[in-house]
Order: sequence, then C-alpha cells, then structure tokens
Amino acid sequence: MTAGRPLPYGDPAHLAAHQFLVEEAALLDAADFAGWLGLLCEDIRYLMPVRVTTARGAGFDSLADMGHFDEDMYALRKRVQRLATDHAWTEDPPSRTRHFVTNVRTFRAEGDDLRVESALLLFRSRGDTREPSLISAGRTDLLRATADGLRLARREITVDESVLRTQNLAVFL
Amino acid sequence: MIDLAAIVSQVRQGMIPAHVYADPEIFAAERDRLFARSWTFLAHESEIPDPGDYVVRRVLADSFIVARDEAGVVRVMFNMCLHRGMQVCRAELGNASHFRCPYHAWTYRNDGRLAGLPFHEEAYGGEDGFARAGQSLLPAPSMGIHNGLIFISLDPDAPSLAGYLGDFAFYLDFYTRQGPAGLELRGPQRWRIKANWKIGAENFAGDSYHTPHTHASVVDIGLFREPKASKRKEGALYQAGPGAGTTYKLPPGGGFADQLRYVGYPDAMIPGMAAAWSDRQRALVADSGFMPSAATLFPNLSFVHNWPQIDADGTVAPFISLRQWQPVSERETEVLSWFAVDAAAPEDFKRRSYTAYLMCFGSSGMFEQDDVENWVSITDMAAGSMARRLTLNSRMGLTSEGKPVKPPLATFAGPGLAYQGFGEYGQRHWLGLWADCLSREAQ
Repeated sequence: MTAGRPLPYGDPAHLAAHQFLVEEAALLDAADFAGWLGLLCEDIRYLMPVRVTTARGAGFDSLADMGHFDEDMYALRKRVQRLATDHAWTEDPPSRTRHFVTNVRTFRAEGDDLRVESALLLFRSRGDTREPSLISAGRTDLLRATADGLRLARREITVDESVLRTQNLAVFL
Repeated sequence: MIDLAAIVSQVRQGMIPAHVYADPEIFAAERDRLFARSWTFLAHESEIPDPGDYVVRRVLADSFIVARDEAGVVRVMFNMCLHRGMQVCRAELGNASHFRCPYHAWTYRNDGRLAGLPFHEEAYGGEDGFARAGQSLLPAPSMGIHNGLIFISLDPDAPSLAGYLGDFAFYLDFYTRQGPAGLELRGPQRWRIKANWKIGAENFAGDSYHTPHTHASVVDIGLFREPKASKRKEGALYQAGPGAGTTYKLPPGGGFADQLRYVGYPDAMIPGMAAAWSDRQRALVADSGFMPSAATLFPNLSFVHNWPQIDADGTVAPFISLRQWQPVSERETEVLSWFAVDAAAPEDFKRRSYTAYLMCFGSSGMFEQDDVENWVSITDMAAGSMARRLTLNSRMGLTSEGKPVKPPLATFAGPGLAYQGFGEYGQRHWLGLWADCLSREAQ
C-alpha cells in the first residue's frame, strides 16, 4: 500500500500534507472543533490503541482490542457536539492547548491518497494552579485527495505512555 | 496529628471532614489499616487464558505478578526477587515460562518457585549454603477467585473471599456473569488523575444525584436519555455486604426478556442471562423492574452498566466496565478501566458494546470526563487549611434523627437494603466500611 521511501521535502504532495497537518492543529488549538470535523472524511476511523509495557521480543507493545479512541464520524460528531453544550464541565473553563506537529514524512498510498507520519506533542494547561500535562504521540494518517482538497480518512495515534498523565482525553490528537 | 477516632465518628454520622480527601496522615492510615487487610481486585482470569500468560498489577506500592502456571493454576506472587529485591518482571503483560531477575539472573518458574541461580555450587556451596528447595517468590498472603475475578488480601488471616463478598455477590453477577461462558475483559486503559481515590469509589456506590447535572451534556446530545433527573430519581439504590450501587427504573410492564431488549441486549444473549441468574436475580429485572447501573465493591473496584445510543439510527447498545481506583497518594489515583463483555456474546454485539463503552467511560469517555473534573477539583480544595474547618454533609436521605426520609423498598427482589429516590445511602454504606477499617489496629 505504501511506497518504501518518503517523498522529498520539496515534493508538492508532501508540502500539501504538511500544510494540512499544521492547519488542522491551528483549528484544534483555536477550539474550532466544527471546523476540524470539516477536515474529516465521512468514513473516518480515528484510533488510539492502549500502549503497554512488554518485554523486547514479545512482538507487541499495544493492545489489539482496546483503545483510548476507536471512533467513527458519528462518535466524533457527538464529542464535538458535547463540547459545544453548556454542560461539558471538563472543558469549561477550556484547556489551553498547543499541538506541536513535527517529523512529518509523506508516502504515496493507493491512488492519490497519501500516508503521512508525524510526531505530535500536545501541551495542555487547565486552570491557574494545576500542573500542565503533555501527551507525546506518533500519528499515522491516511489523507484522501478530494475535490475540496485533502481530507483525513484514517488516523492511528501511537501514544508514548502506557499510563496517561492527563485527566482525560477531552481533546483531539 | 489527626484525631482518627473523631474523624471516624463524624464520618459515621454522614458528616465528612473535608480534609480526608487530601490528607497524607489519612492516606497512611488507609494504607496500614485498610489496604493492608482488605480484599482487593487484581485481574480477571480472561486476561491470562493460557499457561504462561501473566499480568503485573499493584496493590498501592506492592507489585504482583498474576500468572497462569504450566498446570493452568492462577498464581499471584510478590514481584520482588528473593536475593537483592529487584522487580523480577518489569513488563505489564506477556507470556513466559520463567521470570529471570535482571540483576543476578535468579530465575523463577511461572508458579513462583526458584528454578535456578548462577554458580549455586561455587558461590554458595550448593544446597548447604543456600537451600534452593522450597524457595519461591512470596505468594500473595491470601487469594480468592469469584466469577473469574482474582482478588488478594495482604492479610494471611483474611476471611474467605466468598464470606467477604456476602450478599454483594448477588449484584456482582449482573456485571460479571451474564452467561455460562463468563466474562471477557479487555484493557485496561490506565491514566493518572490528581484526585483522591475515595471520591470515585463513593460516587459509583450510590451517587445518582450527580447524574442529571454532571452528565447533562450527554443528555443534551442524545447519547443517553436515562440520566434526566425525572428518570434517575426513580432508580433504586441498593447496599448489600461490602458493596452498594445504583439502578435505573425500567419501563413498566416488561417481562425479563423485554427489559433486556430495552437496554439493547440481542435475543441471542437472553437465554445465557436467564440460565446464569437465579429466580431472584431475574426478578430484580423483571418484577422489581430495575436494571443495575453503577456500583462499588469496597474498597476500590467499581462497575458500570449503561446503554447509550451509538449511531444515527438510534441503535442502543449496553456495555459493562470494571474500574479500579488505585491509590497513588492522597492526591493522586491511577484509574484502571476495563471493557467487559460476555465471552459468548455475538461478535457484532461485542463490537457495538465496545463502541458504547468508549463513548461513555474510560480515558476518553464522555461521562467520565466530567466526573474526573469534579473529583480533581474536590481534591484540590481539600488540601488547604480551610478544608479542616469544613465538614461535608453526606446525610442526604436521612432525617435529623438519622431515620430514612423514605422507608426501604418493601418489594425489592435483591438482598440487603434498597431505597428509591435520591439519597446518599450507598456512599454512607461505603464510608461506614471505610470507618470500620480505619478503626482497626494498623497491620
């Protein structure tokens, strides 16, 4: 499905993919979640497996059947709708977030699709006295070329902690 | 110095000195008097189905290997090498015939027995200097299994697990025995929250009063209709043995199968529940018309059973979650949250139920997100000086003379006591058990 080598940094497809991820991060940090939904394909799968500590050689380091997220468009819409209500207490007052997106590598996938790998560091600060939290993760995305431009068809988030140090995932990664 | 006897006495009156939710002295007392003796949950047998499978779990700071040995027997072993005290197994799950300590290569079979150590003859003079025979990783002082749930107690003289569970075993079946095949656990998701461990345990034991407001957003978006106050206050709140929990009132007139269909169980699963549950258990659903929702088994294992709408077509899917409030400190808790489903359930049901779980509970769940926000805030507030001057009123449902505002339900099918309507009965039941533990001598 994927060609072995990433596209050169100067390749227009890589530049478009990189820009997509940066623009997406800007929407999330501006809490424009409705705008963010607009970047997703209707058949999106949004996954975040639970990482686990296993022996080297165990052959796995995440749980195959349990995630922090395993979402379709309906579920993501509900999450966004919830944040827009007057009763989503965990994000009212809202977190201040910054999605740092880096180490972007773009690969050609089927047709005009692109497979994009990136590293993400999410800084999240809540209230005035609480310790902020960090979530570090790798992401593997499938970006689909549509008439409206690139859209996210699949995201798999590989979080770098087995025990998360944030009070919940009322955030998108 | 805190006056533990005075605190316990106030708690027994339903008045809670607020500092108990962030007090290091209370935490030390809980460690030494409560967790040093109580039965605590570690794992479920379905997490280690095959010989050699293991998970590593803790009771506070103590790490245990929970393994299925070569003979298929479940073993729980203190994860500390007999020689120099290294953590023998540093993975959290896997499959192994042996565990080898990284420090000096002492090696243990997966039943805990010491299998070998390097240079036994040269270094120790063989059996004379160090007798290998009979050496084993320290077994859990007491262990018991119920419905596949593996519990241990650090007290070698603990009462039997069955004796401890007592009448709560009746309610435990609704969450952990939906059919003859038993339960299948997936996970856990693990995350750390800056909240005292007691708050979640109390909440699940009986706080139906928070649901309409804390979880208003999930009603707003049509995820789960039941938490409306008008509905929630019709549920029965039960307490039995070492546990307490909440239920939702089901629509009137339904039979056993209809009530299970109402919350989204497919017809293929209903015979399993009918077979696994007693007449009295079936009557709780069919005749009393209550469906178990949240519950806590003292001290720190909770359960939840809800039935949200998981797609635009209005499909209702029930899910079960087990969750443990693992104390880290007086101000921090590690939450372990498992998805649980009947092992024999149809695959498409398992898929729907898993979707329902993720939407509602766990690290990303839309219910749980708002719960944890509250619990972190309580813990923050409890840490200051002023909290030592405040006692929190947890007497809801009691008159000034300590009588129930409404009598217990006369026709409730389950054991113990059950009340209908809002009231902090379950939390006080839990707090009473907490008070009993803190009144004992330290272990």
